[in-house]
Amino acid sequence: MSTDPTMPVDLPPSWKIWLKGIVIGDVSIGLLYGACALLQTIGVYDTLVIPSLFLVPLLGGLIASYFWRTLQPRIGATILNTFWMTFLALAGSTIAFHEGVICLLIVSPLFYLLVLTGACLGRIWFRTDTTRLRVTLLPCLAVAILAEPMTRIDTKGVVVDELVIHAPAAKVWREVTSFPEIPSAPKFWLFRMGLPYPVATTSAGDFVNADRKCIFSHDAIFTEKIVELVPQEKLTFDILESPPDPELIGHLTPHRGQFVLRSNADGTTTLIGSTWYTLHVRPVWYFDWWTQHIFRAVHLRVMEDVRRRAES
Amino acid sequence: MFYFVVRYLRWLAQVPGFPQVFDAFLLASTCILRRSRFVAMEALEVEALRLRDVRVKNHRFGGIEFIEGEGRELGHLHGHGLLDVFVPLETAQALIATGRVRSHHVFPNSRWISFQIESNADIPFALELLTMARTSVPSESDVKAQILTASRGELHSTTDRAVA
Repeated sequence: MSTDPTMPVDLPPSWKIWLKGIVIGDVSIGLLYGACALLQTIGVYDTLVIPSLFLVPLLGGLIASYFWRTLQPRIGATILNTFWMTFLALAGSTIAFHEGVICLLIVSPLFYLLVLTGACLGRIWFRTDTTRLRVTLLPCLAVAILAEPMTRIDTKGVVVDELVIHAPAAKVWREVTSFPEIPSAPKFWLFRMGLPYPVATTSAGDFVNADRKCIFSHDAIFTEKIVELVPQEKLTFDILESPPDPELIGHLTPHRGQFVLRSNADGTTTLIGSTWYTLHVRPVWYFDWWTQHIFRAVHLRVMEDVRRRAES
Repeated sequence: MFYFVVRYLRWLAQVPGFPQVFDAFLLASTCILRRSRFVAMEALEVEALRLRDVRVKNHRFGGIEFIEGEGRELGHLHGHGLLDVFVPLETAQALIATGRVRSHHVFPNSRWISFQIESNADIPFALELLTMARTSVPSESDVKAQILTASRGELHSTTDRAVA
């Protein structure tokens, strides 16, 4: 092996370097998820933890760009290869973590954008200067990713929706406590793509502590218990168990649901539906927007069917 | 969208990582929606790096920054192809009067000017602007004005090295 610095260095073909960066970047992302799962198993984290989907792809992009640095990549090539990196990561998460298609659809724009951000930063950082300080940034960021869940404060979110029904509260109430199968096809675009949607609700009776089952499509059943019941006014239930559906599990915990009926002077009733939940995925600003978007569609599907039956 | 964010959501520039993520978004959308502009941006980077002693670094508010010598900024290129260049005040005024460049989106009436790259035909002029910036050494009053503006929470300061 020649050690003469004047001799040209044999570099592997560029596709191999691109592939190496993609694979190592994605494996690093997977390892961080694995490390988080391990820390959770040994009790370092108190609650269910998924590492920040802001920081993890950013680090993945930085790591990939470190391996791509010898190519002095252009922006276009970086954009294309971060796309493949994202595709491989999402395909890998489907296999390794059994993530659902809808979850991947939701996460993919953010994931891609952050991998690209990391890769663009690294493209310039590692291009001219690969000093130890810059490379040390990578393990520092990895440690920050593992430490970040310990700084989280679980906050409950709530989604509230209102609907005016042209029927008295007594008639609406009968349709709220339990209801048969909703006949209408789902309108919401994510329901059409396969996200479980509410189909029917059964209840053991109109009394506190009665068991309820909220049945979603794909045989997903939420087990619930009535905790507050004021006839013709309020129905509150705790959600005891969520179904093990890949689209629902692990990302958020719904805690409680509520229907409130408000009689209006003109003989109509305002139906107010609420759901309380805790998000386990970060960044909150991104995933909370999606959660509210989806819960709103769930509420409206149920409440519009209540309106249809009450007004008929 | 860039101008909307700069005008109404400027405070987001203070959120760590936001400018870089936003610039990556601009880059990706330019790559998909404005191919000729994107190709020209790539070509500009290559050509600018051929200028003697010019290097690139990450701009603190997203995009790539062209620097020379000890690190003095000549200009920076945002993800949607907007090239901001720091030229002498008289040159800035003369260039704006021609209508080929605009006053800067954050610092109007300053030595900063903005040039929107659209195609490869714009590259010679963009390089010319960067060359003009190379000959432009900021005066002490310019630097003081920039520091004052930066301390008021504005987006850009220009010549950290010049201060030193």
